[in-house]
Amino acid sequence: MANFNIDSKKARTYDAIVIGSGISGGWSAKELTEKGLKTLVLERGRDVQHIKDYPTTNMMPWEFEHRERLPKEITDANPIASRCYNFKESSAHFFAKDNEHPYIQEKPFDWIRGYQVGGKSLLWARQTQRWSKYDFEGPSRDKFAVEWPIGYDDIAPWYSHVEKFAGITGNKDGLDTLPDGEFLTPHELNCVEKYFKESVSKQYKDRHIIIGRAAHITDPQQIHLDQGRAKCQHRTMCERGCPFGGYFSSNSSTIPWAMKTGNMTLRPHSVVHSIIYDDKKQKASGVRVIDSNTKEMMEFYADIIFLNAAAINSNLVLLNSTSSRFPNGLGNDSGVLGKYIAFHNYRATVSAEYEGFLDSTEEGRRPNGGYIPRFRNVYKQETDFLRGYAAGFGSDRETYNDRSGLGESLKAGLLKTQYGNWSVGSHMMGETIPKESNYVALDKTQKDPFGMPMLKINVDYDDNDEKMIKDYIEQVSEMFTKAGFKNIRANDNHRNPGNDIHEMGGVRMGKDPKTSMLNKFNQLHACKNVFVTDGACMTSTSTQNPSLTYMALTARAADHAVKEMKAKNL
Amino acid sequence: MERRVALKSMAMAVGAMAGLPAWASGWSKSTLEKGTLLSADQSKILTGMVETIIPKTDTPGAGELGVGGFVQKMVTDCYDSKAQASLKSGISNLDEQSIQRFGKSFADAGKDQRMQLLQDIDKSSDASQKAFLGMVKNLTIQGYMSSEYVMTNLTHYEMIPARYHGCVPVTKG
Repeated sequence: MANFNIDSKKARTYDAIVIGSGISGGWSAKELTEKGLKTLVLERGRDVQHIKDYPTTNMMPWEFEHRERLPKEITDANPIASRCYNFKESSAHFFAKDNEHPYIQEKPFDWIRGYQVGGKSLLWARQTQRWSKYDFEGPSRDKFAVEWPIGYDDIAPWYSHVEKFAGITGNKDGLDTLPDGEFLTPHELNCVEKYFKESVSKQYKDRHIIIGRAAHITDPQQIHLDQGRAKCQHRTMCERGCPFGGYFSSNSSTIPWAMKTGNMTLRPHSVVHSIIYDDKKQKASGVRVIDSNTKEMMEFYADIIFLNAAAINSNLVLLNSTSSRFPNGLGNDSGVLGKYIAFHNYRATVSAEYEGFLDSTEEGRRPNGGYIPRFRNVYKQETDFLRGYAAGFGSDRETYNDRSGLGESLKAGLLKTQYGNWSVGSHMMGETIPKESNYVALDKTQKDPFGMPMLKINVDYDDNDEKMIKDYIEQVSEMFTKAGFKNIRANDNHRNPGNDIHEMGGVRMGKDPKTSMLNKFNQLHACKNVFVTDGACMTSTSTQNPSLTYMALTARAADHAVKEMKAKNL
Repeated sequence: MERRVALKSMAMAVGAMAGLPAWASGWSKSTLEKGTLLSADQSKILTGMVETIIPKTDTPGAGELGVGGFVQKMVTDCYDSKAQASLKSGISNLDEQSIQRFGKSFADAGKDQRMQLLQDIDKSSDASQKAFLGMVKNLTIQGYMSSEYVMTNLTHYEMIPARYHGCVPVTKG
């Protein structure tokens, strides 16, 4: 009958534990299991298996009873999640509900979360640009935050490593501000986007319009077929989960790949309470978990731990991992844990119309858009604000139907699609400066539904961001004007920090243990067998979408961890 | 042929709905248990109203396509109490107008009489009745254009285009 003789602790012991199964956790799982480590992957939410658990993926538009709009009861109960552009009838089940994990907003902060296997990798916008040397050198040159312990050359091979497996579409543009990668066939810019590209390159020597680099398989290679993934079908319904595996998610790619090695154990419904520090061995010995179904507390053990809970939750786990050696949170000798949180600034947009190419339109759908790499303060400081911004850029041929009148004339008007001008639009992606005053901390008295201390978030824009918004609006309006676009309208939407879903920092990398938490291989300076490779590790934010960098840092750290483990250094 | 397409998508629809696990359907379940906003008579008036807005020609009108139910569902589930009250009082007023002018309920009024009533609201200075008509018209257009019939047979919706071309000639007509 039951194995009464089994050593229960032994049954709960692995070579490695990965906390979180999103973009970075999935990569930890893949790399560690491929290298032969028996790995436990902990996920606080439920399991979501590729295809099987995408309940809305094949639904037709008319099958959504509210045509993608969410009932008021749901939006009223979830004001934070409701402010996310992707929170809708077809995808709401992949978002954490506001009441599932309350937090204290000392300042308004929209914390958007995906609590399930795959995390937010099911929901992301899939833009994947490499950082350049200018991004890694930023803090040192401009004297903010702390110096990165790595440069572009350290991470470049790891970008290649993850790009080949994930599948990234893009064009080789030859820009030093945005290095080329291992690209699959690029998506196409449409006629107005191409026209704008030419217009900009004629007027400005350092400004470029390119097709976005995105995690979509445009021409599957053997490695993608081996994962069971197929070519992107241009449905642009990615947020429902893609049954083709056309875009990269942990669910379609890294997690099943890790599972196939036979070395992975996946444990959903596991809310991580803390990392256990062993005073005698002077290293972490495991992870304390609350089972979200039974509320039972249990412990799992391993030689190395990868913390990939997503930036703010990784901060929370470390802050809550206290011991006599680390009374202020694991590895927090410097006192910087939870501080220097930064994010991206998506507040401003500029839109316009173009009256050219009226005999042309687009056909099909494109899960990607145009992109304007950062051009401000790249080679030298040239404005009154630090750093810069990248921008999304896209154009669509406007179509409309005459909605006037009632009865048969209305019906005829609705069924006759007419073409308007091309509409063009852009949104900014600004780098924000990590500051000590932007922090997360644990509340001393209030608890969340799992009895964990409630997290306080205190993050805001600053004067640098306001100046950058102004410059973005001026520069893009000028570029639009020079291209002959009409009816140019700029807008600052004043959205809350967090709503960009690119929160970073709090457990930053750095050379000096006195001012940073992690070394150049993402190991806690003060507890070498714990690695943090999600957004929490970021020293500065750059303007690029962050996920590709998390993947590359994770693969690099996992490689180092296994080498160190074999050399008995951990 | 078109009927076969419709039947096939119906089967897919049923399959998809039946396949929704509890954690996914939980998002909308609570709304299904609410009572309907309108009485049976009022619902009939609403159906007559959406059919007047988008009538049957050589293709079905909004009434036949069940758009009245869609309008009511949207206002019940997604709109605030003010909009819900506006729908109810708007329908009552419309019916009173019909009785006053034609001696019969809007539900029993002729096609031209119904159209006359709606056009008068459209031209009137009564802001609340105009807002009511505007809300119902907008939702009727949305429900009609996103109905299975229209998307399948008239606007030829493609679920899986499998392509993108950035510059193709505009097709005339």
